[in-house]
Amino acid sequence: MADDPYAALGVAKTASEAEIKKAYRRIAKTDHPDLNDDPAAHDRFKAASAAYDLLKDADQRARFDRGEIDAQGQERPQRRYYRDFSEGAGNPYRTEANYGDFSDVFADLFGDGQGGGQGGPRRGRAGGFGGGGFGGAQGARSFDMRGQDHRYTLEVDFLTAARGGTTRITLPDGHSLDVQIPAGTRDGQTIRLRGKGGPGMGGGGPGDALLAVTVADDPDWRREGDDILTTLPITIDEAVLGAKVEAQTLDGPVKLTVPRGASSGQKLRLRGRGLAGSGGTRGDQHVELRIVMPARVDDELASFMERWREGHAYDPRATPRGGRP
Amino acid sequence: MIGRDELLAALPGLTGPALDALTAAGIVRPVQSPDGPRFRPIDEARLTLALELEDAYALDAEALALVLSLIDQVHGLRGEMRAMLSAVAAEPPETRARLREIITTTRVTLRR
Repeated sequence: MADDPYAALGVAKTASEAEIKKAYRRIAKTDHPDLNDDPAAHDRFKAASAAYDLLKDADQRARFDRGEIDAQGQERPQRRYYRDFSEGAGNPYRTEANYGDFSDVFADLFGDGQGGGQGGPRRGRAGGFGGGGFGGAQGARSFDMRGQDHRYTLEVDFLTAARGGTTRITLPDGHSLDVQIPAGTRDGQTIRLRGKGGPGMGGGGPGDALLAVTVADDPDWRREGDDILTTLPITIDEAVLGAKVEAQTLDGPVKLTVPRGASSGQKLRLRGRGLAGSGGTRGDQHVELRIVMPARVDDELASFMERWREGHAYDPRATPRGGRP
Repeated sequence: MIGRDELLAALPGLTGPALDALTAAGIVRPVQSPDGPRFRPIDEARLTLALELEDAYALDAEALALVLSLIDQVHGLRGEMRAMLSAVAAEPPETRARLREIITTTRVTLRR
């Protein structure tokens, strides 16, 4: 089908709804496959009806005009806005910010050109307001340019993200790279590897590699903000009598005291065993108890329960919250 | 990076003469290569924004250059601010308290 639905109907981009309808009717009358044997007419009709389908709907037409969908009505790849590029370090169009007395502090933190965060080309020609591309007809020219940032997506497992660790990735050029995952890394966080992007041109330093981290789900560990939720299976006897049971935390196994008479769903809190949050404090770990029956209920257990029930029957459904604490 | 023809195909609203004019005005600065100008993704995004600004505010080349220069500065500062804040966020609360004190003190001095 034609890429331009307006051309397929032979109307201008500014055509009114009525004009579009009229153009489609005209083509339908002359080129309809049931009325016209010519294969070329068939193609014209097909293109015109697809075009009309798209343009007759005002919303669709507006989306096409904005470039959000193509002539087939398919979503165009999501647009990347200028800020996606210009907010990053090394925007070649930006003139250097002048922080006066604090310039050295800025350079110390953000780097001042070669291989660092700031684009090389800006150094030295940032004069007042104008700076680089502002004085008029400089036009296209060769210049030092910092290399492009390369973006990757990196999936790490839950425990590596929570505890921190090292993951090895292989870059498209075949080089592999050890990446430090900081403890408490969140899903969607970006890790910047300075100087691991594309090579610079002229005197420009290389770009950075930006790794968008996705944290894989883990059946045993869940997170809620800075807190961690885990489930601890316990036996009936441990639930009845209480016990000291080993539970896993991010920092390794700990002994946990299951209180006498514990119920499924009861939560024990381990203070400070969660994820490293902002501000340096760690969240908590919540351990949910779950009573697990033995693989087989033997006669001894069954007969004991029967005897016990005779004198001690209770109804957990009598209280609104199902008897849970 | 893409060539001139690919760029014009990717941006339906941009004509060849308009691209030449924007290049001559320094609003877009393509990378020079033996095969002619090459355009980075940032150039494409910048041209899209330039066309939209031209369209919406009827700007001439000089005004457009000024607006884009300001946008570059704001975007760059925002990126740096975010980097600073994320660095501060990783510091213990005492550091933040100290910074807060300095920041508020400076402000008071400036107001006087």
